[in-house]
Amino acid sequence: MIGYGSPIRGDDAIGPLAADRLERAGVPEGVEVVSRHILTAELVADLVAHDRVVFLDAAVDAAPGEVRCRRIAPDATAISTMAHFLDPRELLAWCETLYGRFPETFLVSAGGASFGYANYSLTPVAEAAIEPMLDRVRRLIDRPAGPRSDPS
Amino acid sequence: MSRTVTIEPVTRIEGHARITLQLGESGEVEDAKFHLTQFRGFEKFCEGRPYREMPALTARTCGICPVSHLLASNKACDHLLSVSIPPTGEKLRRIMNLAQLTQSHALSFFHLSSPDLLLGWDADPSVRNIFGVMRQEPALAKDGIRLRQIGQTIIETLGGKKIHPTWVVPGGVSEALTREKRDAMLGLIPEGLEIAKRTYAFFKTLVPRFTDEANHFGSQPTLFLSLVTPRGNLEHYDGFLRIKDAQGRIVEDMVPPIEYERLVGEAVEDFSYMKFPYYKPHGYPGGIYRVGPLARLNNAEACGTPYADVALAEFRMLQETGPITSSFHYHYARLVEIIYALEMMDRLLRDPGILDARVRARARSNRYEGIGVAEAPRGTLMHHYRIDDEGLITWVNLIIATGHNNLAMNQSIRQVADAYVDGNHLQEGMLNRVEAVIRCFDPCLSCASHAFGQMPLSIELRDAAGRIVDTLRRG
Repeated sequence: MIGYGSPIRGDDAIGPLAADRLERAGVPEGVEVVSRHILTAELVADLVAHDRVVFLDAAVDAAPGEVRCRRIAPDATAISTMAHFLDPRELLAWCETLYGRFPETFLVSAGGASFGYANYSLTPVAEAAIEPMLDRVRRLIDRPAGPRSDPS
Repeated sequence: MSRTVTIEPVTRIEGHARITLQLGESGEVEDAKFHLTQFRGFEKFCEGRPYREMPALTARTCGICPVSHLLASNKACDHLLSVSIPPTGEKLRRIMNLAQLTQSHALSFFHLSSPDLLLGWDADPSVRNIFGVMRQEPALAKDGIRLRQIGQTIIETLGGKKIHPTWVVPGGVSEALTREKRDAMLGLIPEGLEIAKRTYAFFKTLVPRFTDEANHFGSQPTLFLSLVTPRGNLEHYDGFLRIKDAQGRIVEDMVPPIEYERLVGEAVEDFSYMKFPYYKPHGYPGGIYRVGPLARLNNAEACGTPYADVALAEFRMLQETGPITSSFHYHYARLVEIIYALEMMDRLLRDPGILDARVRARARSNRYEGIGVAEAPRGTLMHHYRIDDEGLITWVNLIIATGHNNLAMNQSIRQVADAYVDGNHLQEGMLNRVEAVIRCFDPCLSCASHAFGQMPLSIELRDAAGRIVDTLRRG
């Protein structure tokens, strides 16, 4: 479970805050929870070592508070112009290219209402979206194993 | 008719920038500029905040080197408290700084610059990227990921799992190191060192291929500024400022960092949001200098660790005499510094006092002005604060590592453009070399420019009348 987003840009922090709450509430054995400001290259080694990965993020293209869950796949064209920040689909493409496999991966996102700088708190609508996000995450944790990405 | 070429965005760097090349009537380069196109203004909006918030605030100026800001800011706060931090607290801070250097240098070499070095400057841009490197040199790409992971794991082991660790505090660090954590970090070092050594050995075989680039990638003489230890050795956390000239003469030495204003002035230009620091006694723009791995190795008498000292000796053989002048060799210097960082972390973690419980000096503010200087991966980072009686910030100046290199980066793109750009027959590979010389410096524009939003880079080609006749734009 990887929550990511900026802690000083309002609702962008919903991913890491949701991950922190999930960790405090407890997760089954074998599940790891990580909070990140940004997604960086070294995460590739962690991703490839896991069967299933769920990214938690804020969305700018969804209605505030709307929770979405979708499966994501490797995409080598999803390259950020910021050299130190990677898109989850690009991370999966690194996994596929380097290791020949990638984990079953989902993106659980919630629409944000405010992404202003120097804003340390969530809007009420984003705050209210955390539990629905975690409901989706828990269902993904309980879900039976999906097909492997590698031929083996 | 003269023309301007625009390269925008400059790719595989940290942040957004644009390069413009002004061409003359016959297609020759008349001028070249590196533009930082974003404005953020962190110094201004820190005013009014309690000084104890500064480490957390300034760490957020940058997503790639928050640890460097955390350390420089806490050192400025140590100065405000007028305390000398406990020796173990200092050693633990040093370890975190070296872990940051390891993972940052790894990103620069393995992920940002390796496509040019391994696939060639003129390779098809559609394959001259990290995926091309993964396909051609998968073991090298995996090494890069693992080295970053090792550096990041050490930072998280020391600072906790949270995004921006609050473990480094004014007066030292908030928590002593446990034996379990120490042993876990020590267990990572041998693998990291093996990766660093084999990457260094591999890169040495590549260097002879790049004689032409080494001769033209920012090889003009400049001064070099860095911290050194009291014995003049390689230093990343404390020590004294040294400036050496291109002939190897020491022009400033053992200058306490709190006297930085005696050495460094800051100019502004209307074409960039990045300031133009210069060496005051030589004036602007004559006081051009470089910072970062190249400057640190040029200024140091020795690294002080076994394998890094061997590598330093080999580094010095890149040129017959004097400091290494080509900015192309920043890549080489980064690999030497990774080796040093891993060796030094091993030494510090084995220090008998590293588990000591005394790691923090406690005090209130005892002066109105505080200065903290440390070596970030990209060079010397300076934080300077003034506070009022209530401990609220009244003034801030941040001189960022990349900013120090601003004059040199502008000079370097001019040199590369003169050598490679033919305005009558523009080719992508020419412009990639102009970008590549910027990548040698590994600029982190997010904090240098205090960039706002995304950072594309463009190259513009303008005619003699100033009209844009061609643009290469990315992002």
